[in-house]
Amino acid sequence: MTEENKLASGNLSYMATVRAIVWKDLTMEWHTGQILSVMLVFSLTAAIIYNFALYGSLAAARDASTGFLWVTILLAGTLGLNRSLMAEQENRSLEAILMAPIDRSAIYVGKVISVIIFTLAMEAILVPIFTAFFNKPFWRPQVLFILILGTIGYVAAGVLITSMTVQTRTREVLLPVLLLPLTLPVVLAAAQVTAAYVAAVPPEWSEVQFAVSLVVAYDIFMVTAGFLTYHYVVEE
Amino acid sequence: MAERIDRMNLNRIVPILNWAAGIMILISLVVIFFYAPVESTMGNVQRIFYFHVGGAWVAAVAFFVALLSGVFYLRKPAKIWDTIAVGSVEIGLVFTSMTIVSGSVWGRPAWLTWWTWSPRLTSITVMWLVYVAYFMLRGAIEDEDRRSRFAAVYVIAGFVTVIITYLSIRLLRDIHPVILGEASETAQGLQEFSGIDSGKMVISLNVSVLTFTVLYLTWLANRLRLQRLLDDAAELKTRVMTRLQQQ
Repeated sequence: MTEENKLASGNLSYMATVRAIVWKDLTMEWHTGQILSVMLVFSLTAAIIYNFALYGSLAAARDASTGFLWVTILLAGTLGLNRSLMAEQENRSLEAILMAPIDRSAIYVGKVISVIIFTLAMEAILVPIFTAFFNKPFWRPQVLFILILGTIGYVAAGVLITSMTVQTRTREVLLPVLLLPLTLPVVLAAAQVTAAYVAAVPPEWSEVQFAVSLVVAYDIFMVTAGFLTYHYVVEE
Repeated sequence: MAERIDRMNLNRIVPILNWAAGIMILISLVVIFFYAPVESTMGNVQRIFYFHVGGAWVAAVAFFVALLSGVFYLRKPAKIWDTIAVGSVEIGLVFTSMTIVSGSVWGRPAWLTWWTWSPRLTSITVMWLVYVAYFMLRGAIEDEDRRSRFAAVYVIAGFVTVIITYLSIRLLRDIHPVILGEASETAQGLQEFSGIDSGKMVISLNVSVLTFTVLYLTWLANRLRLQRLLDDAAELKTRVMTRLQQQ
């Protein structure tokens, strides 16, 4: 049986369902380029604004660059999340997905993975730009690792919250108000680790151990919470 | 269980709780100001400690009750769980605000500043924001069933900030004393019981925590009764409307 036939007969395994949803999102993005283009243009604009804000002092801009990187990811992330989940609301495509006899949590996992892919793609472009703009080693493997860990927690919370806000009256306005405070703990911890690793002297593991475990614990909590509660969010 | 809470005779319970809370507040005021000893290094200012810790404790309990109500609501939707969650978040926010303000007032003489961005102060501010946003989510949804459902999901996810606020600092201290420069050193004075140097202080703290817990239950019972009255009023209104239309 081909994948489509299996989907039609309801025989699709959990992983195959997740893969189908991720594939659908990637294909859509490949054709429209809506999400990545918005995130990228926004983050570049933000990077320029930061440089202007601290124009007088390059040293100050350099010191604050880790914060800038995470703020950019945080704000560009809300744009990407909004776009990705609004697309499901438009043309009522989510309703069509819900008609399929599939586990609702598979939709959550699929959505989280696809938004993580978009966010990582944006970060892949941001990292060299920030390295060049602020002359700091954002390309270090440890930095990339914590970027990935932080993104997981952020997106895991983001997909859950955005799936709710797109169904409300105020939509885009409500998302940052709900999502930014909720994800601040993981972003603050990840930013702290990032700052430690772009410093001239890389830190000892014991110095960042707590912040890294906080990020991992947050990831686990949010993925579990989203996994268990998602069908209450999409179900009518 | 939902039905049992629903059937509770709140008109009898509420006055009893009101009196109990009032009397306990008087007792704990006497205990805090007259029974508790003067702290050796900070002096009388340390008495804020009893309000501060009591408030923080009850805020955590209230948010935990909200989390449980959220879980119960999702398992079996009954309106009472939603009401308990709303009431608990409201009360928890009041107590969190009280904790932040009393901590700030205490911080002024203790650290010579009203505010510092130590991990503890940052995380409690984040927690406060998360639970304020709870009401914005509720306000943006018209459908009653969906509002309760989304609020339940949000209150579960939001509890992560409570865990971080109440546990992380203790872990931070254990695992990682190197980071503890000036800022975190001062945070210890806020959160640790190291300030306690006599049995009388322990008793005073327990009295104040108990008082605040009773106060929480009292407010929650009042809130449930208020919701019941609101529902009754709404029902009466629709009945009057139908009667008028029939005539």
